[in-house]
Amino acid sequence: MNVNVRGAQSRLSTAMGFALLEHVRNRFALVLVLFYIPLWLTMEHWFVTSDPAAFLLRATGQRLVVSGGQLTMVSGAVNTVTLIVGFMMFMTTFKSLEFDRRLVLAGYPRLHLLVAKVAAMTLAAVLIAGYATAVVCFYWDPVRPALLAVGLFTAAVAYGGIGILLGSFLRSELAGMFVIIMVSLLDTMLQNPISNPAASKDGVYLLPEYGPTQVSVAAGFTRSLPYAQLLLGPAWFVSAWLLAMGAFHLRTRDHRRLVAA
Amino acid sequence: MAGTPHALSVRDVCKSYGSHEVLRGVTFALARGTLAGLVGENGAGKTTLLRILCGQVAADSGEVAHQEALGYCPQETVLNDFLTVDQHVRYFRAAYGLEDTAHAEELIEELHFAEYRHTRVDALSGGTRQKLNLTLALMHDPQVLLLDEPYQGFDWETYLRFWELAARLRDRGRCVLVVSHMAWDTGRLDELHQLRDGVAARWEPAR
Repeated sequence: MNVNVRGAQSRLSTAMGFALLEHVRNRFALVLVLFYIPLWLTMEHWFVTSDPAAFLLRATGQRLVVSGGQLTMVSGAVNTVTLIVGFMMFMTTFKSLEFDRRLVLAGYPRLHLLVAKVAAMTLAAVLIAGYATAVVCFYWDPVRPALLAVGLFTAAVAYGGIGILLGSFLRSELAGMFVIIMVSLLDTMLQNPISNPAASKDGVYLLPEYGPTQVSVAAGFTRSLPYAQLLLGPAWFVSAWLLAMGAFHLRTRDHRRLVAA
Repeated sequence: MAGTPHALSVRDVCKSYGSHEVLRGVTFALARGTLAGLVGENGAGKTTLLRILCGQVAADSGEVAHQEALGYCPQETVLNDFLTVDQHVRYFRAAYGLEDTAHAEELIEELHFAEYRHTRVDALSGGTRQKLNLTLALMHDPQVLLLDEPYQGFDWETYLRFWELAARLRDRGRCVLVVSHMAWDTGRLDELHQLRDGVAARWEPAR
């Protein structure tokens, strides 16, 4: 094998390994995943009434009337994964910006670092979405659990992108945490099936959780597969990620105009 | 400046932040095999100058030339709290494209922190973090070394060991520039430059 290709593979695998390790060693995020997701969903199971609630599934135009508790649990699952993955990606981006700049100036290809971070985030999002789906399935049987996991995954990556974007621009941990919580809360509240069952205004589809919520509700209660809505979460990720990459590229530029001494 | 015997040449480097002129035409040159010091008061622009030399910050005008491989030890330790000492070394081995980590191992032994190889950085003392910070700047054996207050947090023994290491690098033909806000231990340096009012000048402190 070509030495350059082997070197590139080695750098990519090294960066991926360490990007994953960062998530594994982020104990606060792990505690949130392990305990916060079941705690939140269990509390919703206990406290939210199972009286029928209506929800306009805009993806198909259907007006669903289903258990309010189950509907709230789907919305809650979306909210928990967005908070956790958004927080994880904010922290790792925020904390490693200077370190990444040092690596790039030492010769690490930016692309390898960026691909590694996205790969680690994708794996984390898969595991977290799978775990949240398992917790939901513990309480009731969604119609299409695999699609529910996919819906939660798209929510996680959308907020992963938002976390990376905030980590690239904000200058304090507190500001990042606050903004992620606020955005996620607003996002959930504005399309909460109980507070806004008709998701009545057209602009609702511009919210980051819109696509993932539609997919997750469809998965929970119908056999329909909303293809277009499946793409909205990843589209949010790509948009936020591209903006963040622009910032990363600017901040890790090598300003030397080298003249051989 | 191409073709000169200098390992590092700086000509007319200027840098302003808004209306505040930090550097107003810094010019100096260092030969291979030089252990040099750059001193100046707090806020004189030493760190700004070093960041320009290593490419982190763009100068408004001027020219910088240096031999290809450059090592930069930042004033604040720039490390990843989630990784161990060994993992940092592996990460930077990949960054520098090194065959092995033999030189890093030597530095770790010499700076006496081998016992912390498997310790995460967030559990290290300030002095040990600084040792790792320095090791990452030196492990690819660069021709030009830019060290910004590199002995912060070192105990006396380590401080002396640092100067032995710097002198040995100089003897092997490396160009070492040590930045400090205090002009002490100047007897260890081959030459000293002072950054004042935005310009650098050779300086001979009273000994």
